[in-house]
Amino acid sequence: MAVTENDAARALRTALSRGGEWAELFWERQNVVTLTLDDNKLEDAITGVDQGAGIRVTAGDRGVYANGNVNDGDDLLAIAGRAAAAIAEDGRMREIAAVSADELPRPSVVRIDPRTVPIERKVRLMKLANERARAFDPRVHQVTVLYRESVQDVVVANSDGRFRTDTRTRLVFGVLVTAKQGDVLESGYKAKAGTEGFEMLSEETVLETTETAARLAVQNVAAEPAPAGTYTVVLASDAGGTLIHESVGHGLEADLNLKGMSVYSGRLGQKVASELISVVDDGTDPGKRGTQAMDDEGTQTHRTVLIENGILKTYLNDKKHARKLGIPESGNGRRESFRHLPICRMTTTMIAPGASDPAAILASVKDGIFVKGMGGGQVDVVSGNFAFEITECYRIRDGKQAEPLRGATLVGQGPKLMSEIDMVGWDLGYSVGTCGKDGQGAPVADAQPTLRIPSVVVGGKVTAKKAKA
Amino acid sequence: MSEKLANDAVVDRAIASINGLHVDGGEVFLRDGQSTSIEVRDGEVENAITRGERGIGVRVLRGGHVGFAYSSDLSPDGIEDCVSAARDIAAVTEPDGDVSIATRKIDSPDLQLYEAGSEGRSVMERTNVAFAVERAAKNVDPRISGFRKTTYSDGSMTTILATTADVRGTYLETYFSVGTSAVATAGEERQVGYHGEAKRRFAAVDPEAVGRRSAELAVGKLGAQPFKTQTLPIVLDPYMGMALLGALVPLFSADSVIKGKSLFAGKIGAPVASERVTIVDDARTPGALRSAPFDGEGVTTTTRTLVEKGILRGYLSSLKTAKKMDQAPTGNARRGSYATPSRIGAANFHLAAGTVAPDLLITGLERSLHITSLLNLHTIDPISGEFSLGATGDYLEKGERRYPVQGITIAGNLTTLLSSITGVANDLTFGSSGLGSPTFVISELSIGGA
Repeated sequence: MAVTENDAARALRTALSRGGEWAELFWERQNVVTLTLDDNKLEDAITGVDQGAGIRVTAGDRGVYANGNVNDGDDLLAIAGRAAAAIAEDGRMREIAAVSADELPRPSVVRIDPRTVPIERKVRLMKLANERARAFDPRVHQVTVLYRESVQDVVVANSDGRFRTDTRTRLVFGVLVTAKQGDVLESGYKAKAGTEGFEMLSEETVLETTETAARLAVQNVAAEPAPAGTYTVVLASDAGGTLIHESVGHGLEADLNLKGMSVYSGRLGQKVASELISVVDDGTDPGKRGTQAMDDEGTQTHRTVLIENGILKTYLNDKKHARKLGIPESGNGRRESFRHLPICRMTTTMIAPGASDPAAILASVKDGIFVKGMGGGQVDVVSGNFAFEITECYRIRDGKQAEPLRGATLVGQGPKLMSEIDMVGWDLGYSVGTCGKDGQGAPVADAQPTLRIPSVVVGGKVTAKKAKA
Repeated sequence: MSEKLANDAVVDRAIASINGLHVDGGEVFLRDGQSTSIEVRDGEVENAITRGERGIGVRVLRGGHVGFAYSSDLSPDGIEDCVSAARDIAAVTEPDGDVSIATRKIDSPDLQLYEAGSEGRSVMERTNVAFAVERAAKNVDPRISGFRKTTYSDGSMTTILATTADVRGTYLETYFSVGTSAVATAGEERQVGYHGEAKRRFAAVDPEAVGRRSAELAVGKLGAQPFKTQTLPIVLDPYMGMALLGALVPLFSADSVIKGKSLFAGKIGAPVASERVTIVDDARTPGALRSAPFDGEGVTTTTRTLVEKGILRGYLSSLKTAKKMDQAPTGNARRGSYATPSRIGAANFHLAAGTVAPDLLITGLERSLHITSLLNLHTIDPISGEFSLGATGDYLEKGERRYPVQGITIAGNLTTLLSSITGVANDLTFGSSGLGSPTFVISELSIGGA
């Protein structure tokens, strides 16, 4: 089915038929293809379609949300009826505004719809990656290649009369390489992902992604473990932005701030970072994994300056929290699917480039750790304590990149770390991920320039010398 | 209005549709579930959510090729399309002679996974569970200043699995869960503590215990200090223990073993852990959270000892990996939903209880660190076994708590961790993930800090 303005109006009227002040319909159809090549075989091939809707009714601060799979207009009305029964407040019927469609500009251009590309071509790229990884080094022991395409068609309508649609075409091409040396196994992973069409996956891109994964696996299998302790750390722009996502981004989500639960609560207009630091969330950055025309409440996405030269400017918000905090809507109300209520989420979040020469930043450190790859992270927003995974790092000796070290973790406290960063490079590097919050996943991207942190805790292995300290 | 088919009729149609194709066979998995969540905060209801999910996942086999498709469109046409999509996409896979479908009748006793009557429970009764959690947390300490979120959820699901070899099974299950993140405040400092429980019966959920533990965790972290970089014995209570044990499951996957991605490959009969370690995967205990009569391929589940006093005894298998290893399948092909094919996973996976009380285990340690929370568990690499995690903890001397610490890391390798377990207590507890652990002690781990 495709939801029309009439279907939406009927469902919204039903939703508000037994009380409540405001109603919203979110409908989606998601077509997915997932292919897995493992152990030299195209082993798994999955295709599917999931279609469903969720209807929200609010009364003051209270909200009800009913959702389920839908195949026709009757299913939609049944869900609207469930929402109405759940809110059943004063039983008074509310009028809804006339529902009329308007078009938002689409920031990401999809030149080649992946659904039109023969599956054999996708498989060929995966085999190319497999072969290249295996030829990279004799220590390459196993290769897994993943391809995933998803096309999500979305309709958002609400009782204010909004009716907006969006199509999000997202691709992921991931390569996991296992290297073996003696009894030691190590892995290297690299993914290329974006809100783009199949044009994103050129042979060059596939080979580059593959070689990075293979290089990491082989490098790690021979590397010494990273040390444990407090070190000066230089984060290269290539490492992407897990740092900003974990150390600051989550703490700036409005839902946590309204509740006074974040270390950044109540600090609008105050200095929360070094003046070298500006932080931006940009849902409109073309092709990036977090990019979409609108969020999942139908609000147009924005480029939002969150921290400007160290001063906190605003929070990332959805409609409810923008209203409650009295700040402009930023278009960050996102949901994993129709099964979930939207929550305040990042899109593409970055530390803006600064004025220092990246090479000079590295050269300024006599002894430290040079981080060139970051993986997953996590933050406790209440205390601000965060941790993120280092997937590629080196010792810095006399201002130069020295021997590689096997991955570790970097931990710290967001506001403290942001006030201590003392050099910011003029470059910018991106990374991609899937962020988890309150049990919902969201595709995101992060970016940062080269940064110097004078002193931060690195979690590796305690060396004999350190153990005595 | 399109024709609405009942669950059994959907499965019958799909099986008939597979049988109508020129293929070697296939399998149909249907899930139909309803759930309710109530989100409250500080004594007010924020959201009441009702969910419905209903769909099928179809696997079609043809000359060793296998294709998988899923759909939430359960009209006759939707089922037909789904089956065709599975057949069509099978063509791109490479043939594997060991791929098969279940052919043996399922042994399906009543595992007491379902409690009737939960649909009729009032919103008020559900909400009261969440309120009781918050009250219990506040009663612990006046410094409990609020909650990030408290959520009560329940759900019921029907699962049907059928193959073209006349295997068919059905079971119903329910779950009830509640969790909260209590926040403790002292001056400028704020700390959070999370705890949650999930059970098969409504009355088994203990809101008092959930509130109390989350509050104690939050209050216990107040005044946390930095900690010196050093190595120390580590104490893991049941909840922290199960968090780390979860990372071990992939090492037992027969698929990872066959592909050379597990450190346990080729180690059957060899020591992989200290002799105090016995690890069991149990899918048959009645009423347990991850018990199930059959797995995602329609194979009868089992209860097995995977590690016996430190010696590796077995792996977790699917039909395909069992055939490749020439062993009986263990019923560990688990299904997340109708939209995902089976993946090898564990049931009620746990470290077996020891004999001593937890207190006795730790009083003998001159200096040790009791872990109270871990950050970044999802980054543990199951291939290399390496982990490096953010942590908070309590520094102990002779088992006595001296002060809380934060901003630290613990790092090591899962295999070294298993061989350094020097003590296992008698307080085996199962958590909301279905994993179980007693308190245990690791002789030494690297702690990164100041």
